[in-house]
Amino acid sequence: MVELLAPGGSPEMVREVMEAGADAVYVGPRGWSRRAAAFELGDEELKECASLVHSYGKKIRVAINTLPHSREIPLLLKKLERFLSWGIDAVILTDVGCIHAVHRAFPELPIHASVGCNMTNAQDYAFFRELGVRQVVADCKLPWEELSAIRRAGLGVEVLIHASTCFTYIGQCWMSSYARQVWHLDAEGKNHFLGSPNRGGLCHRLCLAPWDVSCRHGTAAWGVKLRNEAFFLLEDIPRCLELGVSTLKIQGREYTPALMGAAVRLYRQLIDSCLASPRSFDPAPWYARLEEIKRLRDEQRARRTAELLRESIA
Amino acid sequence: MGQLEIELNTQVSTLEEVNARDLAPYQAVYLGNPYCPKHAGNLLENHRELAEAITRLKGMGKKAYVATPAAPRTGELGGVEKLVETAARAGADAVEAHNLGVVRLVHRRFPGLPVHTGCFANVYTDLGAAKLKEYGVRRVTPNYEVSLEEIHLIREAGGLEVEILLHGKMPLGLTNSCFLLNFPDHPCPQACREDFWLTTRDWVLKITGTVVWSGKDVCMLEHLPYLLESGYRAFRLETLYEPPEYRREVGLIYREALEHMAEGRELLWPAWLEMLKNWSRHGFCNGYYFGQAGRMYINQYGEPVSI
Repeated sequence: MVELLAPGGSPEMVREVMEAGADAVYVGPRGWSRRAAAFELGDEELKECASLVHSYGKKIRVAINTLPHSREIPLLLKKLERFLSWGIDAVILTDVGCIHAVHRAFPELPIHASVGCNMTNAQDYAFFRELGVRQVVADCKLPWEELSAIRRAGLGVEVLIHASTCFTYIGQCWMSSYARQVWHLDAEGKNHFLGSPNRGGLCHRLCLAPWDVSCRHGTAAWGVKLRNEAFFLLEDIPRCLELGVSTLKIQGREYTPALMGAAVRLYRQLIDSCLASPRSFDPAPWYARLEEIKRLRDEQRARRTAELLRESIA
Repeated sequence: MGQLEIELNTQVSTLEEVNARDLAPYQAVYLGNPYCPKHAGNLLENHRELAEAITRLKGMGKKAYVATPAAPRTGELGGVEKLVETAARAGADAVEAHNLGVVRLVHRRFPGLPVHTGCFANVYTDLGAAKLKEYGVRRVTPNYEVSLEEIHLIREAGGLEVEILLHGKMPLGLTNSCFLLNFPDHPCPQACREDFWLTTRDWVLKITGTVVWSGKDVCMLEHLPYLLESGYRAFRLETLYEPPEYRREVGLIYREALEHMAEGRELLWPAWLEMLKNWSRHGFCNGYYFGQAGRMYINQYGEPVSI
């Protein structure tokens, strides 16, 4: 059965998406995931969320998908040991060294490779499977045949169905930290690498600044944004189910809990309807329902983007 | 480079660029453009010319490294294998991989052929580097976001040679679709011969199809003595998408500086920096080596300055 995975950017959001029908939720420990600290959880919050999610009979996945300092890996292992005692069900990782260390220390813990691993081919999938990875979060830029190739490699496939695509491959961009990077050590000694989405999660979204494009003949275009679009895979969900995709993921820890609750409700109903009668699936009414969610999402994202761009010159 | 066995290397896309004059300052050359198969004359797409380029470099007494596509899809792996086979047969000294799947492919099909990982292979940690060593990797270029303090750890614990970007524009992002296709007045592949700049506020980036680059040139000249003292011996001058004169002149300045350092002669910082500035349209930065924003420049006294 396919799993609907929802974001948990706060304890309120975790509760909301559970109520809305998510099968699993992913959360980020503060300083360790690809989001700003405001949308990550402190350890005590994470513990409470694990307990809450399990009380619903659902799963909680911990995203530790940043690329740390070499000296932070022992701290990561210590934290994971604590999280495991709270019953977390899987971990999402990016760094090859971290994946290797975690698999060696906790061989039973399912490891999912983050979209930031940027796998693009069958040899990549085999490489990460050899490291101990069990499931791959597929980049939005991957064509369908690659999703089949991930399956053939013996790995679970996680597909983003409601997300934003970056201009670049995720994990292959350090434009944000080119503009601003601040090293900030927290009380545990974790560097938050503020400004680096790969390392600390906070991205200033330079790609969405208005760029003038010039060449030797003069200015070719004014105020261009590097392509960075909302991504909704609604009409392709039946194809995902047919392909044997393991997880359908909704991105959005930075949005409001109410909005993410609404998104989860929509996709929950859509998936259930599709599973009940796959041949008669008609995407049109679902697109109509998605419109309001998209509108609110676009508003919240635009506000957040403006904030991040302002902060980039602070 | 004398007794220190220092390697100054660079990268070229085409056979035309493999000539003794422009490559005179370098001991090794990466061949081919890993970012775009349509780049006119890309050696990765013409295996006969690639073999010829390797032979030419060997004739010049230089090492030949062969680049591989940065983000190949499954359907392209057969072509990558043929490319590496050509490189190995022609006597390439190593192949460069930005993609970990390519690292695995080379390790399995061409055991013994050394692999260098490029910046997009995302080596950020010592354990990551050590794991890649098991896959035949002999040299890593850590991701450009990694600071020197961390690079020291990668080298010590990983037991691998580390290559340092010494000068030139650094890649900041890789995408799958060509940005320049948005400009029909500049059709492919001629558009790649044009410099396109992105400007907003006081930030400048360079864009070449599928790669966004720093607008400023990374310049580590002032920190070269420290890098040598720290034990680094492989240095890259990034000259992809630069004119041949840039490759030659910037290379000669660094070569002269290295010779002065090796022979204990006077270090001519102002003169060398001034000469390098002539080749930099938007000034210098040090990338992320000192833990700062990538566009900042820290001088040899540890002061952030605008240059």
